[in-house]
Amino acid sequence: MKISGNIQKNYPAVFMLIAVVTALAACKKGFLDRDPQGRYTSDTYPYPQGSSPFDQYVFAAYGALRSYNVSATPFIAAVSIRSDDADKGSTPGDGGADAQDMDNFPVSPSNGMANGLWTGYFDLINKCNIVMDQVANNEEITASDEIKRQSLAEARFIRAYGYFMLVRLFGRVPLIDTVTGTSANIPQSAPGVIYPFIEKDLQYAAANLPLSWDARFVGRATQGAANGLLAKVYLTEKKWGMAMDAADLVIQSGQYDLSTPYDRIFGEDGENTRESVFEIQATADATTPTDYGIQYASVQGVRGTGSWDLGWGWNTPSTRLLYAYEDGDPREARTVLFTSTPGHPGLTIYGEVTPLGLPNPRYNNKVYTNPAMRNEVGNRGGYWMNVRVLRYADVLLMYAEAANEAGNTAAALEKLEMVRARARGDDANILPEITTTDQHQLRQIIRHERRVELAMEHERFFDLVRWGVAADTLHAAGKNNFSGSRDNLLPVPQAQIDLSKGELTQNPETRTS
Amino acid sequence: MILRKCLLIIALLCGFYRYAHAQQALKGTVQDSTGAPLAGVTVHVKGATTGTGTDAGGNFSLSVPADAVLVFSYIGYQTKEVPVGGQTTLKVTLSSSTAQLQQLVVIGYGTAKKVDLTGSITTVKGEDLARMPATNPVSSLQGKVAGLTIVNSGRAGTSPTVRIRGVNSTNNSNPLYVVDGVFQSNIDYLNPADIESIEVLRDPSSIAIFGLQGGSGVIIVTTKRAAKGETRINFQSNVGVQHVTRKIDVADAAGFKRLYNAQRENLGDDPFDFSNYTANTDWQDLILRDAVINTNTLSISNSGDKTTTYVSLGFNNQDGVLKYDNYKKYIARINEEITINEHIKVGADLTGFYWSQQTPGADLNNALWAAPVVPVKAADHLYYSMPSFQRAQVGNPVARLDQNTGNAINNGYRAIGNLYAEIKFLQHFTFKSAFYADLGFDNNRSYTPLPFRYINIAEGDAATDTTFDETARTSVAQTQTQNRKFQQDHTLTFDETFADKHHLTVLAGFTTLYSSSMNLTGNRKDTVLNIPDNPIYWYLDISNQRNPGTYGGGGGEEAYMSFLGRVGYTYREKYLLNATFRRDGVSKFSPAQRWGNFGSLGVGWVASEEPFFKDHIKGIDFLKFRGAWGQVGNALGTDNYLYLPVLNIADVGVFGDNVYPSVSPKYIPDPRLHWEVVNGIDLGLELRALDNRLSADINFYNRTTKDILTYVTLPGTAGNYSYYTNLGDISNKGVEVSLGWSDRIGKDFTYSISPNFSYNENKVKSIGNEIDFELLGNGGVNRTATGSSIGYFYGYKQTGIYQSEEDLDRMPHLSNSRPGDIAYANLDGDTAITPGDRTYLGTPFPKLNFGINLSFGYRSFDLLIEGQGVAGNKIYTQRRNVNFAVVNYETNRLKAWTGPGTSDVEPILDNTRSNNLLFSSYFLEPGDYFRLRTLQIGYTFRPQMKWKTGIRQLRVYLSGQNIKTWTKATGYTPEAPLDNPIASGADNGVYPVPAVYSMGVNVTF
Repeated sequence: MKISGNIQKNYPAVFMLIAVVTALAACKKGFLDRDPQGRYTSDTYPYPQGSSPFDQYVFAAYGALRSYNVSATPFIAAVSIRSDDADKGSTPGDGGADAQDMDNFPVSPSNGMANGLWTGYFDLINKCNIVMDQVANNEEITASDEIKRQSLAEARFIRAYGYFMLVRLFGRVPLIDTVTGTSANIPQSAPGVIYPFIEKDLQYAAANLPLSWDARFVGRATQGAANGLLAKVYLTEKKWGMAMDAADLVIQSGQYDLSTPYDRIFGEDGENTRESVFEIQATADATTPTDYGIQYASVQGVRGTGSWDLGWGWNTPSTRLLYAYEDGDPREARTVLFTSTPGHPGLTIYGEVTPLGLPNPRYNNKVYTNPAMRNEVGNRGGYWMNVRVLRYADVLLMYAEAANEAGNTAAALEKLEMVRARARGDDANILPEITTTDQHQLRQIIRHERRVELAMEHERFFDLVRWGVAADTLHAAGKNNFSGSRDNLLPVPQAQIDLSKGELTQNPETRTS
Repeated sequence: MILRKCLLIIALLCGFYRYAHAQQALKGTVQDSTGAPLAGVTVHVKGATTGTGTDAGGNFSLSVPADAVLVFSYIGYQTKEVPVGGQTTLKVTLSSSTAQLQQLVVIGYGTAKKVDLTGSITTVKGEDLARMPATNPVSSLQGKVAGLTIVNSGRAGTSPTVRIRGVNSTNNSNPLYVVDGVFQSNIDYLNPADIESIEVLRDPSSIAIFGLQGGSGVIIVTTKRAAKGETRINFQSNVGVQHVTRKIDVADAAGFKRLYNAQRENLGDDPFDFSNYTANTDWQDLILRDAVINTNTLSISNSGDKTTTYVSLGFNNQDGVLKYDNYKKYIARINEEITINEHIKVGADLTGFYWSQQTPGADLNNALWAAPVVPVKAADHLYYSMPSFQRAQVGNPVARLDQNTGNAINNGYRAIGNLYAEIKFLQHFTFKSAFYADLGFDNNRSYTPLPFRYINIAEGDAATDTTFDETARTSVAQTQTQNRKFQQDHTLTFDETFADKHHLTVLAGFTTLYSSSMNLTGNRKDTVLNIPDNPIYWYLDISNQRNPGTYGGGGGEEAYMSFLGRVGYTYREKYLLNATFRRDGVSKFSPAQRWGNFGSLGVGWVASEEPFFKDHIKGIDFLKFRGAWGQVGNALGTDNYLYLPVLNIADVGVFGDNVYPSVSPKYIPDPRLHWEVVNGIDLGLELRALDNRLSADINFYNRTTKDILTYVTLPGTAGNYSYYTNLGDISNKGVEVSLGWSDRIGKDFTYSISPNFSYNENKVKSIGNEIDFELLGNGGVNRTATGSSIGYFYGYKQTGIYQSEEDLDRMPHLSNSRPGDIAYANLDGDTAITPGDRTYLGTPFPKLNFGINLSFGYRSFDLLIEGQGVAGNKIYTQRRNVNFAVVNYETNRLKAWTGPGTSDVEPILDNTRSNNLLFSSYFLEPGDYFRLRTLQIGYTFRPQMKWKTGIRQLRVYLSGQNIKTWTKATGYTPEAPLDNPIASGADNGVYPVPAVYSMGVNVTF
């Protein structure tokens, strides 16, 4: 009696609990459906209305151009420190074997910078493929064909830049032209396959990019950038006539000239002038001193202390480069920043005296930042410096080189003189006009002009390989370990071969040497 | 003071009670079947609230009515009722043979008699944890449970890494903690002294009831409740000093100068100008210290007919051995249970937790790397900078310590509570509902002061100068994090014994779990004023909004829902059967993938209950065979939303000085993502023999994890995305043995010896068909491949050093090997050392874990000795493979090769030779160790003294922990991190595990 009475008394409580349970069970679908908090997915992103609804994907590709691997240490080491114009710099052991091997060869398959270049450029390419995938497959975004072509053109321009770097760095690389996700593990393609792919991308880009952008988008890829890069691709393939044609399209476009004095090109105020064909854009302010910038200038900055701690002091101009300048060539002073020695103060372009006893006698003056900007941003690393990928002078010299190789000496001399005339400025006593019509002689002169005009600017190593003189030149510069057949290319990173389960193969020369 | 008042009141109340009833005084002793006194036995008068407990000598005294019946109860022993019958002294023996049979073990959603278990569960008593000088209760489990691997850290407030039966997954292998029913990922918020017991559930049949979250094992924690029929006040305190016994042996100034100049010579450079570097600084000494650890707990428990109450206050304070490292926790608990009538019981638990932490400004690696030739400081705010060859990468360790000291306030609050009601009806049914909430709020305020001035000592052309970073400005930052968790459990239990021999328990339940988090962070730099170094100013609004700053915030949530059931059946406590089922749904996976069914089946046979056994087998008191199979899921540690294409919007497009948003995939989503499935069988034997003096518990297990959840590194061609997916099968096979022997010699001497060890063999059976690339960790150092242990070390095998050009001519070598370089074994049969010569070099996971506990008692003295160790693993001394700058050398480099015949182990001093940096056995050292974990001697005061002080029991003890470690490893501790299964075992400067010398007191009133 007592028990049952109690049960009856307790029934309400029991039923209440059962009701709670049932109610919770009934709403089971909603309970487990949890949308991401504070994050967009590709289905929920509120695509902006504006110039192109695909811009948010295109901008991710531009963003990848600023990355450490694509535009900072690994890039600088591969394109400049490997050459005879630059030394690793800094203190002897700094950077260890990875850095030392980039300077003195051979580069080991375990080299972290080689792996960085591989992953960095493929990430860049991947971001371009995403743009192309979105344009082709995203049915929720409505856009005109013209807009679609423009977005595709930008993506293909950046992708071509990525592959052009990869093919010159590594030779054979996998050709990834779609969003592959996890099935990206494919074998390498020969340069003979990669180059036509790059050409097609750039031809498409040149045909569909605008001549210029308004101030809001200064520095976006243009027709001129695509043609200029295409000229360099043709030049590398020794397609002289096509290189001339592509370069000529840039020259005739009316967008570029040599009005910017040489000593202004490289500073903050020289960004995006009429000299600039393509620059990787960077910016910084006190709120975001590094995030929207590039570590490019910081890696090469003066390795001092206190307010002279401007960076790592890597990629310093070599003595060989100093000797390369003709007497009185003012470009030397804008390229090389000297460390003060007792009785010989080194002066910056802003009139400061460099300290005594820095670890290196010289630094790359082209990345020297404005001290006022350092104070304004509250950072000495110069993350705001754009990377000059393609300058008008480079286009002119490419034209000159191609013309000379094609036998059109007169056209070559004309373009060469344009570049020398600007360097000469008002001083008639220096850098005399070249008049030789001997093709061989002119070839050497144009090569020399390229070297000094573009010194420390990412061209020298690739130029040496392209001209087939890398081994001789580097041996003359004391880099005796350099073996042309092996070291013209970087080894395929062992980390990537390992990840690929053997799908990727090592370059034959690296494998057997 | 307060304590004394309480005692007075309680004493008065007791006295009043005594005089209010005409009663007689009764004295007695309680012992076990061997005659050993039993301490802590609860003695209470049946049907009344009067009660007491026995002291260390087993003695009790009580005033009772002459016709009273006394109830003696003790965990693990059979409760005994004794009528007083007018006696004034009693001698009671609690039967120890049935004790173990009656021992209750906490299992999921209920308890079971230990004898009825068909899985392997090990119980550790809370008192064994509370007497160790540690703020985190998990750390003291080390060496106590077979099959449990614990990696302790000496860093104040850090939770240890726990692995149960090896690594089941390539991903998160942490166990699930269930604290009084609440699912938790850690028990940092618990005070060791508040823990009644910890149950370690290892086999699938025990953990299947926890479904998706239990795949890597479960640790159930039961907190203390009031003991029946008495009021008790307990105070425990422990204070100790932590001391780093093993420092890493680095070169002194003279050694460094010699080695660096030798390196420069090898690189073709002139000797470095050390003429002004005259100091000899031991940086480790300057950032390490002897540190205090202190734990205190005061608890009061009371139990009456209607209510039981347990209240406790805890305060733990641990200084880390790295200067300024400190962690404090304050814990207040109340557990209350109200019996409304014989059918309804309601209760509530509430824990309030407050912590504060000072993170060390110093960095151990910094101290190892810094050149010993530099003096520390010249004056306040004026320090010496490192020499030019490491100035950019390595700062002055003491300056760094001082710069970062006292600049952050980290603290947090947490409130964990539950409400439950239990209704018994129709005699055999119990319905229980519980609601849990766990709310956490963490705060951080920090300050970046102006930098110090630095003296650059003159080198070569450079004169001594003093520099100061003029662009640096002061800034402040604030962060707030909020965590919320809500859980509800509803269970209906049926429990009935039919015909005195069939015992049936049926459980059905429903549970949900929801958790979410939110964070807000901001910082502001004052470009005009210098914010003072005083915490009262460390708020964002101290600087006006025109000053630069960044702000951020985010959140996340997840939910689980489950239905569960269990059937337990025993026949005459002889044949045992258990079956469990759980259906789980989780928000982490897509609707098509989120529901799964898990379950287990276990059987047992208590052979010693068979008549023939009782008749014919002598000496064996208890023998049980058991076997179980189970299948569980594991989704612990899986991030939310991974099946959805979440975007990364952090990158931007920059044009001129214009910044535009961009999007790119945050990761590569796997829409088919689901939990991993753990299948396992477990065979066990439990034995007690020789009058229960010998006990043995032996388990064999074999379990396979399928569809392992893991983050994989994709080939570079896939872009820079992470990818989380299910892949592969891993098996863990092993044996666990726990033995125990306890006995007494003569009247006064008792002792026990209990060794345990476990052996685990880990093997990757496949890494799946989904991927066509390798699974590599730590940059390729760890490799996970079919047929080997997970994340094994993969590299070259050192055979020696190339002594000369002749060596190079006759031995296979790398293309650029030179004399003085490491010679590697040529294993692939070609003529050179190539990547094909890399091989298995060992596993980071110990195959063997062992522990031994010895305890001795002589009269009132007790002595405890615990040892613990591991074997069969390797440690990667990654801290030595540093190549970004010139850093100080460990003393092994003093023996570096300098010419033919000078060394066959240590390569030439030349950090530009990439061959010697390749991952090889040169960087591995054995991870085996044996550690004297505890040496503790205690004295328990005799009962006579209690009458004067009100003290029932008082134990004081001296304890030493980690006094000595035997190992060949060279780091601060041989316990390299094992938290990421595919990238484990690298010593990158592991925080020291110090020796702790402490003394403590445990007093009960």
